Amino acid sequence: MSIIFNNVRIPMSGTFFPGQKVLVEKGKIASVGSMIRKNVEKVIECEQKYLIPGLIDAHSHLGLFESSTSVDDINEPFADITPHLRPLDGVKMRDRAMEDARRAGISTCMVCPGSERPISGICSILKTNGNSADVGLIVEQAGVLMSFGEQVKIAARNGEKSYVTRMGISALIRETLMKAQDYYALKQSKKMVKDREIDMEALIPLIRGEVPMRACAHRAEDIMAAIRIAEEFKLKLVIEYGTEAHMLATVLADKKIPVVLGPTLIPRFRYELNEKTFESAKILMDAGVEVAFTCDYPGLPIETLRVAAAMAIQYGLDEKRALAAITDVPASILGVEERLGKIKKGLDGDLALFSGHPLDIRSRLEALVVDGDLFVFSDELKVESGT
Amino acid sequence: MKTILEKGIIFYQGKFQELDKLVIEKGKITEITLTSAKAKKGKAVPAPKKKTEASATVIDCSDEYILPGFIDAHTHISLEEEGVGWYDADFNESFGLATPHVRAFDALKMRDRAFKDALHGGVTTAMITPGSANPIGGQCCIVKMVGNTAEAAVIKESSGMKFAFGENPKRVYGEQKKFPSTRMGTAAVIREWLMKAQDYLKRKKTKEFKEREIKLEALLPLIEGKIQARAHAHQADDIITAYRIAQEFNLEMVFDHCTEGHLIAKELGKWKARAVVGPTFSSRCKPELRNKTFETVEILMDEGCVVALTTDHPVIPIEGLSVAAAMCVRHGLDEERAIKAITENPAIILGLDKRLGKLEVGYDADVVVWDGHPLDTRSKTKAVFVDGNKVI
Repeated sequence: MSIIFNNVRIPMSGTFFPGQKVLVEKGKIASVGSMIRKNVEKVIECEQKYLIPGLIDAHSHLGLFESSTSVDDINEPFADITPHLRPLDGVKMRDRAMEDARRAGISTCMVCPGSERPISGICSILKTNGNSADVGLIVEQAGVLMSFGEQVKIAARNGEKSYVTRMGISALIRETLMKAQDYYALKQSKKMVKDREIDMEALIPLIRGEVPMRACAHRAEDIMAAIRIAEEFKLKLVIEYGTEAHMLATVLADKKIPVVLGPTLIPRFRYELNEKTFESAKILMDAGVEVAFTCDYPGLPIETLRVAAAMAIQYGLDEKRALAAITDVPASILGVEERLGKIKKGLDGDLALFSGHPLDIRSRLEALVVDGDLFVFSDELKVESGT
Repeated sequence: MKTILEKGIIFYQGKFQELDKLVIEKGKITEITLTSAKAKKGKAVPAPKKKTEASATVIDCSDEYILPGFIDAHTHISLEEEGVGWYDADFNESFGLATPHVRAFDALKMRDRAFKDALHGGVTTAMITPGSANPIGGQCCIVKMVGNTAEAAVIKESSGMKFAFGENPKRVYGEQKKFPSTRMGTAAVIREWLMKAQDYLKRKKTKEFKEREIKLEALLPLIEGKIQARAHAHQADDIITAYRIAQEFNLEMVFDHCTEGHLIAKELGKWKARAVVGPTFSSRCKPELRNKTFETVEILMDEGCVVALTTDHPVIPIEGLSVAAAMCVRHGLDEERAIKAITENPAIILGLDKRLGKLEVGYDADVVVWDGHPLDTRSKTKAVFVDGNKVI
């Protein structure tokens, strides 16, 4: 399908630039400017409304949590080390939350298993438009999820596991990574023919440095533990949650470690959330750390991603960086900045049209485009068939 | 940046003496002059002194006491952050049995109030160890009391391997209805792992060796003599069992708690034992503490052992270290040796006596200024320097 947005505002160098046209063809952004003339299938007269790139949540359990049921496909409570779990095998594309995500302007999510076990599985990047997870898939192996701190301790304590302390969690992760290094070395030396081990196989891209360790950590100490282990095993690292990351802003900036920050709009119901503040994003960004917001669905409803950015503005962050933290920065943290996160010729046709400023929570989403598929949410929007 | 402490009474070369000045530069002590030495030279030192003052911070310590920062050679600071609850209890992997690969360093919480309390109590360095639930508990670390991250505070990430004898492991695993529930069982678990580690070391040197095992990797530095064995033992017979195992496997061992050490003082003296005694200020809350006394330190020192005192924080709060020393004085120990038990001796036991535990030129500038005698519990720390930085 080809679509043109006429007379729309788009973000440009820190403000919204009016009177623009954006053309989407064959699922990609084909042209951006004020002088586009082309016959298309759908013409949308936007009357100076706001068009932004489809939003990205860089950490969620979308589709793994099943709405309105008491069971989920997030955590494997009877196993400790499961890097071979793949979100694709558990995502339910027809779950209501997928529609909620689209209605919130979210076109892409990183989906991962839960953070109750030290190593819980791989992280995948999905679009929200597919009828099957395979259709929406962008990158299947985009990192290995590891978890530190209280949540892991709570789960271990309930299951009488041998890692009820922070020391035990680090030890178990080290043990696994050491095995994976040796497994990979054995595999490299062709003399040794060996039976494959599925969990070790899943860790090879991590050991080779192709994908990052995505470390769930709230407290400063847990973030440092992740950094320490990543450095010992020469792994790329992304911090997920990062509730106390602002306390280590200079350390994270020096080491160029990005943070997927949130969920911040929750009560302090665990001790490790005690230092939670909406000022974190600004402190981290001012220090030079890459920050993306997350609502950690179902930690928070997926619709609250925009709210996270707006709350950060309330606490001093500027609009430009707040918007970037739900569009191009998560694209870069997920390693898909060549395809997503900006309104630019050649990038994926993922666009969200809002009735007003997208970070004003009163603004409505009127239409969403994902890979060129058009979803219209407003009866008043003027969508005409082209000639 | 230069800091000069002038006048006052310094604990120097094992005794209290009158200080003329102590100079701190780049985190180290660069000069110590006593008034007696100056008098000997017979030279009046007049005006030029003012010149140096211009580029340095000068602190007048008249009538005050200047001591090295105290060292507690056995604590659990921040493994269980104070006032929090079990969320932050990172003490014992109490379902793990033998966990040589867990490291206290990975559970430090630098914002724990105990670090500040330590500084107020004149303590600038502590060894932090996992708990004593497991026969093999994990790796100890040594840190200073200042730093935003554990990395900033560290002296040694892995300084020793914790072993536990006696009631604790027996109780923890007995209650879980698991092996070991006897003292024999505890010793057997320890022997089994040390034996495995010795064989692993041999195997590692052959060409067939391919895959590492993290628990045995963790025991290698111990087997190779690079780190010390730390034996938690209260009862005399448990201390002797620990020694027996140390001999069998050729380990360098420190005896922690050593509550009944005075009952086997002759033996400990013969072994030239190094002991970290305490927490003596706790109650006799379990049978193995029934013979606890503040006299242990003096009796062991008289036999030639190197003895340090410990609070075992959080069993006794860390500020209690100087109080423990004072209690020993009340029970007959002389003041100089009581102070050594919280300065020089723990430094020797931790293998840091070339940089900590004394005020000497070239040593780390961990210096504490007390407004009265440090073993008078009413005295306060007026200034505390860690690596030359004034932190109080």
